[in-house]
Amino acid sequence: MPQDTPSPIDLPEPELKESGLGWTFGVILIASLFLLCANAASLRDWIEDQPPSPAQQQAAEYADQWVDTTEAVGIGLPRKAMHDQWKRAEVARFPGSAHKEGAADSPE
Amino acid sequence: MLFPTLSFGLFFLIVFTVVWAANGSNEWRKILLLVASWVFYGAWDWRFVALLIGSALLNWGAAELIWYNREAPAGRRRAIMIVGVVGNLAILGFFKYYGFFVEQLGDILHAAGYARDLPLMQVVLPVGISFFTFQGMSYLADVHAERLAPAKLLDVTLLMSFFPHLVAGPIVRGSDLLPQFEESPRLTRDMASMGLVLIVWGLFKKAVVASELSTGLVDPVFFDPAAHSRLDLIAAAYGYAVQIYCDFSAYSDMAIGIAALLGYKFPLNFNQPYRAQSLQDFWRRWHISLSSWLRDYLYIGALGGSRKGFARQCANLMATMLLGGLWHGAKWTFVIWGGLHGGVLALERIWDRIRPQGFPRLPRVLGILITFHVVLVGWIFFRAESFDAAVAYLKGIATAGLASDVLTPLACVLILFGMAIHFTPANLGQRIALQVRLLPAWALGLLVGITVLIVDAMRFEGVAPFIYYQF
Repeated sequence: MPQDTPSPIDLPEPELKESGLGWTFGVILIASLFLLCANAASLRDWIEDQPPSPAQQQAAEYADQWVDTTEAVGIGLPRKAMHDQWKRAEVARFPGSAHKEGAADSPE
Repeated sequence: MLFPTLSFGLFFLIVFTVVWAANGSNEWRKILLLVASWVFYGAWDWRFVALLIGSALLNWGAAELIWYNREAPAGRRRAIMIVGVVGNLAILGFFKYYGFFVEQLGDILHAAGYARDLPLMQVVLPVGISFFTFQGMSYLADVHAERLAPAKLLDVTLLMSFFPHLVAGPIVRGSDLLPQFEESPRLTRDMASMGLVLIVWGLFKKAVVASELSTGLVDPVFFDPAAHSRLDLIAAAYGYAVQIYCDFSAYSDMAIGIAALLGYKFPLNFNQPYRAQSLQDFWRRWHISLSSWLRDYLYIGALGGSRKGFARQCANLMATMLLGGLWHGAKWTFVIWGGLHGGVLALERIWDRIRPQGFPRLPRVLGILITFHVVLVGWIFFRAESFDAAVAYLKGIATAGLASDVLTPLACVLILFGMAIHFTPANLGQRIALQVRLLPAWALGLLVGITVLIVDAMRFEGVAPFIYYQF
């Protein structure tokens, strides 16, 4: 990049010599597989949001079964626990807050 | 198709795979990127893909004509450039400002006693039009000034359509991107590491900080300021300052990261703006691609900058910022926001000139605090629905009580976090990238997966569009 328009992509140390393409494919593949297992609920929610069609219904069924499987083996539980914790943080109020009791959403 | 969604994630996985598979032919690679960019843009409205192509054709054609006439008298080349710039402004003006100006004209005619039914139309605003028309104009100006040779039609079209920056910037100039299009890029570990750091960091800022502050605090208070206390109004103003930074800088970070994974380098667009010690300093840190565009092509290029005397310099600053405000949208609140920034920038210049010798400079902390609060007042006008609403908001801060019904511990933590990140080392992201580039792929893959999982667990349900999509 020209000097007057620096890019954050230019790191301040000498570049590594190895090619990054295969490495990056590996990183993205592992991250995707991890999320497919540990975050199956998001995939299910996304499929459920798609326009209805026979293929979408079939995919939604598979996604439901996949979520059940990941929860049965426990790999989907950390995400659920973190999400519940986050929802509790969202509805927490300062003592004496003017916010009406019961107006807050309860955690999932 | 928003960046922090699964739809975009799947789209990007396909593009990433196909584009790198075609890396043997740079031309095919660019054609694939162009088609992907049109699919991305067409996800909003297919009709506007034609506008994008038309805009690219206009700029490519005008640049070719300027170059063809490079031995001709300067006036002819200048005239061609002006016609091209006017063409871009006409596109922008029609889609973005038509309704606003017709409405203002109607009001003026009505006030003068000439009530007329003017041809009002509901014009749909194409996403990102302000970004790609500015890109087109700077390309023409650069070719005219011979800072840049005209590029091939494919390259110009891709420059304007490239999906990472298409809808909300950064405004990547031809001089930055066109040379990179000339050869097949190479993906290094450094580029990929920094790209991934920026994508994950942007995802966190947008999906967690900006979305949470927007839905839990800022939107309810700005929707009905009169129903909220002084404390809520103050908290929402600070909340909006953090929200707009986390929202817009997140888009830029993700855009830069996505482009990096495709092998291209975009310029820096944000550099911890709330640690600025003056408004001039702020504009070197906030939306850098727009502020440098306005500086180079409008303030210096068209208005003459400081070349025509001090009074003219101040007037030029004001004019630049007023137009910069109007660039954001056809609303008086944006003009007032621009006027406030222009006015304070001019005052800073005047103070620099009249400050007595030996008069102590403002302590750094005080400079940061004053600058931030000038920016904060500007944000109230920027966010408010109307001038009256902004004034009512400011009056509410001065009058209402201290009880709060929307300020939560979580909102306080997010506001403090959003401010604190401005005072971390400026190159923290790069330092992290230097560490992660040494990791094996499986370890970094797991790390990225775990981080995205945490962000997804914290994110607000659904993703609101980025604030700058409307510009």
